[in-house]
Amino acid sequence: MVGLVIATHGNLGAELLASAQMIIGPVRNARAVSINQDSSMEDVRDAIMAAIAEVGTDDNGAIIATDMFGGTPANVSMTFLEPQVVEVLTGVNLPMLLKFFNSQENLGLDELAGILKSYGQQSIALASEYLQR
Amino acid sequence: MSIVLARIDSRLVHGQVLEAWVPFVNADCIVVANDEVAGTSFQCMVMQAAIPSSIKLIIGTLEETASILRSADLLKKRVLLLFTSSEDALKVCQLGVSYPKLNLGNMHSSAGKDRYTCTIALDQHDIDMLKQVEGQGVTIVSQCVPADREQNWHKLIRSGGR
Repeated sequence: MVGLVIATHGNLGAELLASAQMIIGPVRNARAVSINQDSSMEDVRDAIMAAIAEVGTDDNGAIIATDMFGGTPANVSMTFLEPQVVEVLTGVNLPMLLKFFNSQENLGLDELAGILKSYGQQSIALASEYLQR
Repeated sequence: MSIVLARIDSRLVHGQVLEAWVPFVNADCIVVANDEVAGTSFQCMVMQAAIPSSIKLIIGTLEETASILRSADLLKKRVLLLFTSSEDALKVCQLGVSYPKLNLGNMHSSAGKDRYTCTIALDQHDIDMLKQVEGQGVTIVSQCVPADREQNWHKLIRSGGR
């Protein structure tokens, strides 16, 4: 089963996980890492490494979902990138998470990560554009 | 060229810099002066990708970036200059780059350092380095993000670390 680490500025990741569980119930193999103003780069690195170790106990790898490309959570996560073992996805949103938990048992790391990227993008809509159709 | 912000930030290019400081000082060029990062192509690539295309990014060793900053290459640029340590800030200063003010952004705690604010921890070595920077006519302040009040570092030091 693919594992998930959500690394974000502040408690966004923990809250996203809580929101996801509100919708689909308890989830497995997921950890949130909160990066705060007073976290040093070493603190951040250690916390992400520990979280990967917790969710990636089988050989199916893990995805680190981060909030924003270019932010510290993503910057540090990138250093864990390892093809077929750890993938990093930025711009995490709730639809992406729900898709992850509905697919983590059926799909491999690479395929799942690719699907999540496009699914996350497709889930963004502007309501007024529907009116113009 | 004008250096609109010179900052020590162990996180280098990250959210606070891109989303708060760049628009606040209206920078159109970011210079990362760091020997280690300059030699890590993956990290350079990620930083380049994170920066809007309207902003020029230069990543180089202390020597390389100092030489570019001394030249006429960035004559019309509004430069945001980033270091990771007090030592690097001093070296670039000693290499002939003058910046009027040095911002202490993120200098996080590690073993042997005293914490002065939530984001600034210094040891005696840092204080010595910064005093030398100050000796070059640089005003040293702490301000993590533009919304924080700028504070002279002497005030910080006087209040003592924990």
